Amino acid sequence: MSREGPPRGPRLFRWALLLYPAAFRRAYEEEMTALFEQRRARARERGLGAVARLWVRSLTDVMGTALGERRADGEKTDEEGMMKTWIKDVTDAARRLVRTPLFTFGAVAIVTLGIGVNAAAFAVVDAFLFRPPPFDDPTRVVRIFQDSDDGDPSSSSFPAYRDMTAFRDVFDAVAAVSPEAVTWERDEGDESLAIAYTSAAYLDAVGLQPVLGRWFEPALDHVGEGFYAVVAHRTWRTRMGADPRVVGSTLRLNGQVVTVIGVGPEGFHGINGPAVTDLWLSISSTPVGGSFRVANLDRREDHWYDVVARLADGVSIEQAQAAMSALAARLADDFPDLNRGRGITVFASSDVRIHPQVDGSLYPAAGLLLGVVGLVLLLACANLANLLLVRGMARGPEVAVRRALGASGGRVASLFLIEGLLLSGLGGVAGLVLARYLLTLFLRLPVPVPGGGTLELALDARVAVFAFLLVLVTGVLFGLAPALRLARTDVAGALREDQRSASAGRRTSAFRNALVAVQVAVSIVLLVGTGIVLRSLVTVGAVDAGVDVERLAYLGVALPRGVAVGPEASVTFQTIAERMAALPGVTGVARSTRLPVQNSGGTTTRFVEGYIAPAGTGNVELNYNWVDETYFETMGISVEVGRAFVLDDGVDPNPIVIVNETAARRFWSNGGAVGGRIRGESAESPWANVVGVVRDSKVRTLDEPETPFLYFPLSRAAVGRLYFMVRTDTDPTVLTAALRATVREVDPTLDVFEAGPLETHISTSLDPLRTGVVAMGGFSLLAILLASLGIYAVVSFVVARRTAEMGIRIALGAARRRIVGMVVRDVLVTVGVGMVVGLGLAALILPRVAEALFGVGGLDPVAFGGGAVLFLAVSAVAAWIPARRAAHADPVEALRAS
Amino acid sequence: MPDSNATPPRPAVFHILLALAGGDLHGLGIADEVERATDGTVELGPGTLYRSLKQMAAEGLVQETVAPSPETDPRRKYYRATAEGRRVLAEEAGRLARIVEVARDRHVLPGSA
Repeated sequence: MSREGPPRGPRLFRWALLLYPAAFRRAYEEEMTALFEQRRARARERGLGAVARLWVRSLTDVMGTALGERRADGEKTDEEGMMKTWIKDVTDAARRLVRTPLFTFGAVAIVTLGIGVNAAAFAVVDAFLFRPPPFDDPTRVVRIFQDSDDGDPSSSSFPAYRDMTAFRDVFDAVAAVSPEAVTWERDEGDESLAIAYTSAAYLDAVGLQPVLGRWFEPALDHVGEGFYAVVAHRTWRTRMGADPRVVGSTLRLNGQVVTVIGVGPEGFHGINGPAVTDLWLSISSTPVGGSFRVANLDRREDHWYDVVARLADGVSIEQAQAAMSALAARLADDFPDLNRGRGITVFASSDVRIHPQVDGSLYPAAGLLLGVVGLVLLLACANLANLLLVRGMARGPEVAVRRALGASGGRVASLFLIEGLLLSGLGGVAGLVLARYLLTLFLRLPVPVPGGGTLELALDARVAVFAFLLVLVTGVLFGLAPALRLARTDVAGALREDQRSASAGRRTSAFRNALVAVQVAVSIVLLVGTGIVLRSLVTVGAVDAGVDVERLAYLGVALPRGVAVGPEASVTFQTIAERMAALPGVTGVARSTRLPVQNSGGTTTRFVEGYIAPAGTGNVELNYNWVDETYFETMGISVEVGRAFVLDDGVDPNPIVIVNETAARRFWSNGGAVGGRIRGESAESPWANVVGVVRDSKVRTLDEPETPFLYFPLSRAAVGRLYFMVRTDTDPTVLTAALRATVREVDPTLDVFEAGPLETHISTSLDPLRTGVVAMGGFSLLAILLASLGIYAVVSFVVARRTAEMGIRIALGAARRRIVGMVVRDVLVTVGVGMVVGLGLAALILPRVAEALFGVGGLDPVAFGGGAVLFLAVSAVAAWIPARRAAHADPVEALRAS
Repeated sequence: MPDSNATPPRPAVFHILLALAGGDLHGLGIADEVERATDGTVELGPGTLYRSLKQMAAEGLVQETVAPSPETDPRRKYYRATAEGRRVLAEEAGRLARIVEVARDRHVLPGSA
C-alpha cells in the first residue's frame, strides 16, 4: 500500500461493500478487500479485459450475497437490525431537534400554521363542494327547479311538484322538500330546529332507508292526516341520547304535538350539502308552519319547494329534461299569467351542492379561501425550507465527515429527510388540533345557512388524509431540498475548504434568496388585500343608513306562541307604546314590522299601474314595512312629497301606501308617484293609492344599491310581532332596561326577542365584512411574520458565514455602519425584487377581489402605498437586528473563530 | 445425525471443506487452494466465500481457530473443518464419486470406452 492513502480501486470496492449489513461488513471487510486486491493485481498482469471481468464478477457476487445477507438479516436474529438503524436515525434526528429547541419550536409552529389553516379550509370546502352526497346510486338522482321570475333555476311551487310526479315513466320517485326553522319546546328549554316539510317519496328518491321505524307513507302527503316527524340520525344521536324509544314518542314543535315515526338514515342530513336538516316533517304536518303554509300548498304563485327525484331505469337526464320542458310548456299554456316563459331545469345531483343560485358563488369563495390558505402554506414551506437549508449549510462540515466516513449520499439525504418529516409530522398533528379549533371558530361566524340550521363540518378521514398528504409533501420537499443540495457536496472539497469562504454555495444562496423573495411577494399581496378590504369596511361603515340612528333604541316584541293575532294584540302594543312615550327621556315612540338594514324578512309581489317590468311577468318583488303614524318622524325619515300616515288611516276603507324615493323614481319616471296605484299580483286584489314619498333608507344592507321600498299603515294590519323604535335624549343602551320593564308591566307573557341601540344593530350588519378584515388581517400578519423571520434567517446566515471577513474589515478600520450596510444591501435587493413581484401580482389579483367589495377599487393607492411602506419598515427591522449584531462583533473574537 | 438423504451442500461449501481438508487456512488461503485444486475454473467471489464461511460456522461445519504460527498476520482469521464438516465432505465426495461411477458406466468419461 502506498503512503498517499488507499488507491482508488479498493476504495471503490469498499463503497460496494456498504451494501452489506454493518455487522457483516465489520467482520469481513478487510479480508474481502484483500482478496479482491490480490485478484486485481493478478488480473492486471493479464490486461484490462481481465480487470474488467474481475470487477463485473466481484460486484455481481457482492450484490447477490449482500442481498442474501440482508434478507437473512431480516429473517433471523437481526430482524431488529434494520429497524434499529431506522430507529437510530429517527432518534438521532429527534435528538438534534431537541438540542435546538428554538429552531424546532419555530419550524413546528410554521408547519402547524400552514397545515392547520389548510386542513380547516379543506374541511369547509370539502363539505360544501366535494364530499359526495350519501345517496344510493347517485347518478340516477336529479334535482328539478322551476325558474324564478328572473328566469334562473330556483324553487318550485307545490302544484308544479305534483305535476312532476305524474311522469311515472321518467321518474321512479319525485319528492318535494321545503326547509324551515321551527321551535322545539323541550322541558329543558326551547331549541331551534332546522326542519324540512318533505313528501313520502323523498327517501326513495335518494335511495336510503330509515335506521329505525319508518318513513312517511304517501297518505301523509295531504294535510289532515296528522302531524308526523322523522328525526335525523344526527339529531337522534346528539340531542336525543340515541334512545330507540323515540319512535312513537311525541315532540312539541311551534306549539303543536308531532309524533315521531322514525329515525333517518345514518350519515344523511338532507340534500343541501353541509347544511343540516335536524328533522323531517310530513306534508300533512304543514299546519305546524302556519296557515299560510297550508294555503301555499295550492298556490302556483309561491315557489317554496325543492324537488329531488330518482330517474327511472334507463332514463337519461336529457330525456328527463325533455319531459320537464314539455311540462313547463304545458304550464305556460294553462297558467299564462304565472308561468309564461318559466322553464323547468333538471340537474344531475352531482351538479347541485346547495342550490343552483348559491352554488355559483360557492366556487369563487372556495377558490379564494383555498388560494389564501395555499399561499400561507407556500410561505410556511418556503420558510421551513429556508430554515432547514440554513441549518443544513451550518452542518456542511458534519455532512462531509459523514460522507468521508463512508455514509452514502442517499443515507445522508435520508437523515435530512427524516428531520424534515419529523418536523412536518409534529406540525401536522398540531395542525389538526389547530384545524379543529379553527372549525369551531368558523361555525361561530355569521355564515348564511339555508334553512337557518347548523353546518356539518368535521375533521373526518378525508381531512386527515389531506393533512397527511400535506405533511408528506412539506416534509419530503423541504427535508429533501437541503438534503439533495448537501448530499451532492464534494467530500474532499468541503473538508479542505474553509466553510466560510464566500465563493461556496452561490447556487444555494440564490435558491435561498428566491425563497425570501417569494415570501415577500406573497406577504405584499395579502397585506395590500387586507388594506383593500379594510378600506371597503371603512367606506361601508360611513354609509348613511338613511335614518337618524343616534339616541335611538329598538325593542322587538312578539306575542307568545299559540296566542292568536287579533285586535287585542294591537291594543296591547298600543298601550305599550303609550307607556314607553311616558318614560323620562323618551321623545318619540314608533312601531314597525322590520328594522332598517335588516337582511331578513319577506318580500311581496306587487303590480304597479303603468309600469312595465323589464323582465319577468310584469310584477315586481318588493321589500316592505308596516309602520305607524309616528314612524317617519321618529326615525328621521323625511317625507318628500305627499304625507305620512295619520291615525285616521286606520278607519279609511281605501288601501293606501307610501313609497320611498327610489320606488317613486323607478315606477313613475315622469314624477307623479303620489296618486299612482299599486295592487297585489292577482287582478282581483284592490288598488292602493300612493299617498306619500319618503327619503330612502337602507333596507337590507348598507352596501346595497338603491332599493325600492313600500310602507303600509300598521293601523290596517293585525301583527303578532313588531319593533318599537324609541327616540330618547339620553343613552339608548341605558333606556333598554326601562323599555323591557314597560313591556313586562303591560303583559308579562310577551316575548322580547331583541333589544338595544339601533346603532349597534346597524353596526352588526357589518360583521361579515369585519370577519373578512380580521381573517385577511390575520393571514397578512402571519405572512409578514413568516417573511420577516425568513429575512432574519437569511441575514443571520450571511452574517455567520462572513464573520471572519467582517472581523478583518472592522480591524482594518471599516465603519460599523458600512458593515451593516454591506449585509443589509444584499438582502434589500432580494426584498425589493419580492416587493415588485408582489405589487404586480396584487395589481393583477385584487381588482377581481374588489369587484365583490363596496366602495373601493382594486388598485386603491392607499392600500398599495400603505402595504408597501409597512412591509418595508418591518423587513428593514428584521434585517437590521442580526446585521447590527455582526457590526458590533469583537473583531478579535471574529478572527479567532475562523 | 443427518441421514444420507440430506440436501447436498452447495458447491461453495464443498470446495471450502475440500480446501480445509489439507489443514487450517485463512480466507485468502482457502480461495487460493480452491483455485489451485480446480485449475482456476472455480473462483469463489469474495462475498460468496465469506458469506459461506459465516454460514458454515453457524452450522458447525467449520470453526475459527488461532493462527498456526506467530509469523502470520494476527488479524487474519483461520478456519478449521469440524468433525461434522469432515463428515459432510466425505458424504458429498462419496455422492459425487457414485455419480462419476454412473458416468463412467455410461461411457461419458473420456478414456473409458
